[in-house]
Amino acid sequence: MGQQIVFALRDSMHRVLIKLASFLPGLLALLVAVVILTAVGALLALILRRILTAVKFDERFARNQTVNVADWSPRHSPSVLVARTVFWACVILGFIIGISALDASYAGNSQIAAILIPYLTHSVGAILILLAGTVIARFLSRSVLIGAVNLQFQYARLLSLGVKWLVLVLTIAMVLDHLEIGGTIVDLAFGILFGGIVLTLSLAIGLGSRDLVSRSLEKNAGRSADPRTATHTAPENDLADILPRTAASQPKPSETLRHF
Amino acid sequence: MATLPTISENAILSSHGLAPSGLLVSLTPLSGEAFEATLANLALAFADRDFLVITPNATFTTLPASAHIRLTTYTPSTIVPSGCVLTPTEFLDTCKLMQEHASTACLLLGPEAQSLAPEALCALAEAAVPGNADLVTPRYSLGPRDGLVNSAILYPVARALFGTRSRYPMAIDLAFSSRMAERLAACAQKFAAPNQSATLIWPVAEAAAAGFSIVEVPAGARTLPPPAAADLNTMLAQVAGSFFADIDAKASFWQRARFAYPTRTAAVARAEITPVQPATPETPDVQHMLDSFRHAYTNLQEIWSLVLPPNSLLGLKKLSLLPPAAFRMPDSLWVRIVYDFILAYRLRTINRGHLLGALTPLYLAWVASHLLLTSGARPETTAPEKHIESLAAAFEIDKPYLVSRWRWPDRFNP
Repeated sequence: MGQQIVFALRDSMHRVLIKLASFLPGLLALLVAVVILTAVGALLALILRRILTAVKFDERFARNQTVNVADWSPRHSPSVLVARTVFWACVILGFIIGISALDASYAGNSQIAAILIPYLTHSVGAILILLAGTVIARFLSRSVLIGAVNLQFQYARLLSLGVKWLVLVLTIAMVLDHLEIGGTIVDLAFGILFGGIVLTLSLAIGLGSRDLVSRSLEKNAGRSADPRTATHTAPENDLADILPRTAASQPKPSETLRHF
Repeated sequence: MATLPTISENAILSSHGLAPSGLLVSLTPLSGEAFEATLANLALAFADRDFLVITPNATFTTLPASAHIRLTTYTPSTIVPSGCVLTPTEFLDTCKLMQEHASTACLLLGPEAQSLAPEALCALAEAAVPGNADLVTPRYSLGPRDGLVNSAILYPVARALFGTRSRYPMAIDLAFSSRMAERLAACAQKFAAPNQSATLIWPVAEAAAAGFSIVEVPAGARTLPPPAAADLNTMLAQVAGSFFADIDAKASFWQRARFAYPTRTAAVARAEITPVQPATPETPDVQHMLDSFRHAYTNLQEIWSLVLPPNSLLGLKKLSLLPPAAFRMPDSLWVRIVYDFILAYRLRTINRGHLLGALTPLYLAWVASHLLLTSGARPETTAPEKHIESLAAAFEIDKPYLVSRWRWPDRFNP
């Protein structure tokens, strides 16, 4: 009995070590490919940048450009943009070659390869989704916050946080779905959370601006009741009439100011 | 893609045999009455000389009887909505027409030009004749509550960085020489595409960078045209964004340039001898602007802290705690705020739209402080123009801060 257990353990350890031994060269190949291609990319970028600087690419480009590409390039230099594009293209190529080498180092019917390789690519996709979602959430949150503050909405921060978490919850749900983690639980949780945030925001805005809505409805009802009095009014005036709590309704001193 | 402006064939010629003066007067689209009034003023201003008027107005009008006006219409190369400023297309078309008519000087008049007095038109054109100045900017007599963005940002920053004395860098009317016109057209060419019609040209900065002479002449009162966008946030973002971008583009000039600034005392003395508008008699109602600033202070600190150094944030904190009666934004604080926003614009510390949006409440705080200071309700009351001159001097004194941080943005900044 004891011998059988020892034998089973040895056999298991032997198999794991063999698999690890066959896995390590593939992993090493992945690392070597990434390192070499990164070095090649850095070298190419350096050479390219020197060549472009020598031929005064930035000045020529600035003279002939039709769209303002410099705005999108780091340090406003199209040369740097080209050099960095080449560098990152080489790095991505290194990853592709490395993953392909890792894949090739396994037998076609290997169980680990069948699970690991798709999961690795899914993980990369999930990381990209997470990064994009975080950036979008921060951008939208700031946009809403600044816009709402300039409009003097008292619940500006709440709106901003609501938008941020809406996007983050959506992103996390997409990431988990992409990684195939959680299954239907994620869908369900996402639905509850997303719906909850939307409901909270709706209630907050609705309760905060119920006077606005009621006045707007009263105004519209008054108009439809007496069509003879309906005259054309500028939309800004309409808004000023129905916004009792916001800055638009107050007789602002800035109305007598000329900023431009 | 911008197209060439086309000139109408049936130009009206009413020359009385005088020698051509080489002056071209370019008008922006005007209403019928405004167009006629402008022509009448031009006829009075240049009674003794022959000159050419170009206008995109398609319908001709009756010319003043004594005028030596040659009137020509043209089709603008790009139709852009008229606002309160001159557009790149207008500069481009005017330059092309100057070259076609071999004009040596140009008087470019913006919207509501009928409100300019004939004397002002004459003074502008006289200063731009060959041999005088390359660029002539008008100094309008506006009220203390007019052109506040100009007073808060454009004038003092342009004066500190480009060494110009033009009180209205975003002028609505200009006079310039042919070589200045070529320079402006070359600049406008970059922004003449329809999707870039909102971009502004900064003639004063262009002239300073090119080493051209700039002269400012008194232009009296003028009706300011309404801005294209009624919303302050949109307009401020457009104007300040364009101005900051121009500063970024001309960094190599203003970092190297050494100007002989007058001392602070001299600048203030100059303001004293300049005819200034009377201060607003009553205490202005600035509560809305103060509320806006305080509301922003509680919500936008996270964004401001990415742009402003701790010292400025501390200054804003103190400012937010002041009661309305004692509300006063120090000039040094406003200078640092503007310079740090220019730097953040250059470094893209945060999205540029967000950056300019976050500037609005701070600008309103400056406006409130300026109005309170110049209202006559306080012991330390000062004339509006004097305050603006001292602010401009503060910008000049603190220019080394901008240059230093521009060159070494990562250096520790308390």
